[in-house]
Amino acid sequence: MQKITNKLNSVIFMQNVGLRYDKGPEILSDIKMSLKKGSFHFLTGKSGAGKTSLLSMMYLAQKPTRGSVSVFGQNVNFANRDNLAMLRRKIGVVFQDFRLIDHLTAFDNVALPLRISGMDEREVKQRVNEMLEWVGLSRNINSITSTLSGGEQQRVAIARAVINRPELLLADEPTGNVDNDIAFKLMNLFVELNKLGTTVVIATHSEKLISEFNYPRLHLQNKGLRIYYPKDDTGLEKEDEKD
Amino acid sequence: MKKTKSKKRNKNEISLKGDSSGLFLEVMISIAVFLFAITLAGVLAINSMLSNWSDSILGALTVQIMPVNNIDQGKALEETLVHQNKTMEYLLNVEGVEDVKPLEEKQLQKLLQPWLGDSVDLNQLPIPRLLDVKLNKNAKIDFMGLSEKISEISSQASLDSHKLWLSKLIGFADGLRNLALVALSLVFAITSGAIVYATQTSLGLHRYVINILHIMGAKDTYIAKQFSRRTGVIAFIGGALGVAFAIPTIFMISKLSEAIEGGIISEAHLTEYSWAAIASIPVFYTMIAMVTAYYTVKRTLEKTM
Repeated sequence: MQKITNKLNSVIFMQNVGLRYDKGPEILSDIKMSLKKGSFHFLTGKSGAGKTSLLSMMYLAQKPTRGSVSVFGQNVNFANRDNLAMLRRKIGVVFQDFRLIDHLTAFDNVALPLRISGMDEREVKQRVNEMLEWVGLSRNINSITSTLSGGEQQRVAIARAVINRPELLLADEPTGNVDNDIAFKLMNLFVELNKLGTTVVIATHSEKLISEFNYPRLHLQNKGLRIYYPKDDTGLEKEDEKD
Repeated sequence: MKKTKSKKRNKNEISLKGDSSGLFLEVMISIAVFLFAITLAGVLAINSMLSNWSDSILGALTVQIMPVNNIDQGKALEETLVHQNKTMEYLLNVEGVEDVKPLEEKQLQKLLQPWLGDSVDLNQLPIPRLLDVKLNKNAKIDFMGLSEKISEISSQASLDSHKLWLSKLIGFADGLRNLALVALSLVFAITSGAIVYATQTSLGLHRYVINILHIMGAKDTYIAKQFSRRTGVIAFIGGALGVAFAIPTIFMISKLSEAIEGGIISEAHLTEYSWAAIASIPVFYTMIAMVTAYYTVKRTLEKTM
């Protein structure tokens, strides 16, 4: 009963999840987690630990090889394609490699989620302009994204991920290509979104960022996942055995 | 930031233009349309030529009964008439023959008047008798076989040689038309295959964009329609270019053939319907490209979650 309540209240709920590619070995085993609405987590682990794979299951690009994944209370194994599409619209994703459409302008890239959801073009224009101004790219609205610098592209990618006010924001190394100042500015943007109710998961290697922002950590190690909560005063972390 | 849903969707929500794969598809389609248009024009021209020739031999036929040689003109006429009656009797039993009438003396006289004048008794002259044979227009008559049979029935009877020659030519042209149809089918199959391949290649280069749209929550049909529409625009532009090059080429060939005065090729002209058919080719190729794009994207997406 407790499990069912957890599942329904969670933005993401994973039970005994395993993932392998083709006939290779499992890269994730027996993952259990429950991310509550409005929570903020860092996702950590060594390179190759499976952070990107775990995120891909969260943003519904990958089905687990075994176990069950529920997103917004819906088991992805039983959802039809249209339902999955509607669930994806509630998720904003910032990719490590940005995944912008190179031949489009910054404006058109950021406008994509709004246009997909069928928003009126006047409102699209207003919201995209506001968003690009907010991330400091108001001068680059009509620039083709391939002509922008790495940091600017990253901000376009972040603007695209948050433009639709997603209920879940997943970011894979979102501060990897920017200097410290911009990294902290972007982190503050995620914190603000979180305060507005968005559940946030950020995959990062940056210990500095993790220690600066006091949020729980989902740590991938030996194919499994452990959750650590920060200790208020000492800055030490303790493992939560419940999850 | 309040989200409002629009009542009507923008037709061109995602700009997908501006890459080189579109140019490749456009060039492929213009070449395909050009080749198909030229081949189709050839088939239509042969068809029109055949139809003109067929019209001239359909419905009527003339059989000539040569006069029997005899010093006694009375007997000669009698024997000639025997041959005429035998031939008539046979012809009336041939399938597809509706009526057979000998040309009356008055008509014969009228035909020969320019050479012989008014006051000549034709019965005194060794002139051929003519049978006017009325045919069913839908009947398929083997003129060669008929000619041989008539000669067997009567040594004096023969089919009009022009029509016989034309019927042989029609047989040849008919074969040529079948060959042209095979060529047309092959050109269509090859060019369609090339367009399907070019469309798939072009979309292969866009798999990245398809995945981005998919992850952002676009439904499969939405993505497929976006790409289908974009492909349609590219294909139509390519097709229009192909036709724009093909029409003057066909027109030039047509003019050159008309210059052969009195020649059989001059019969091979294109009607306004033929030109309309040629002009509509881009529509078909655009449809092929659009349908290919739609199902290629759908298939690509079906492989994803």
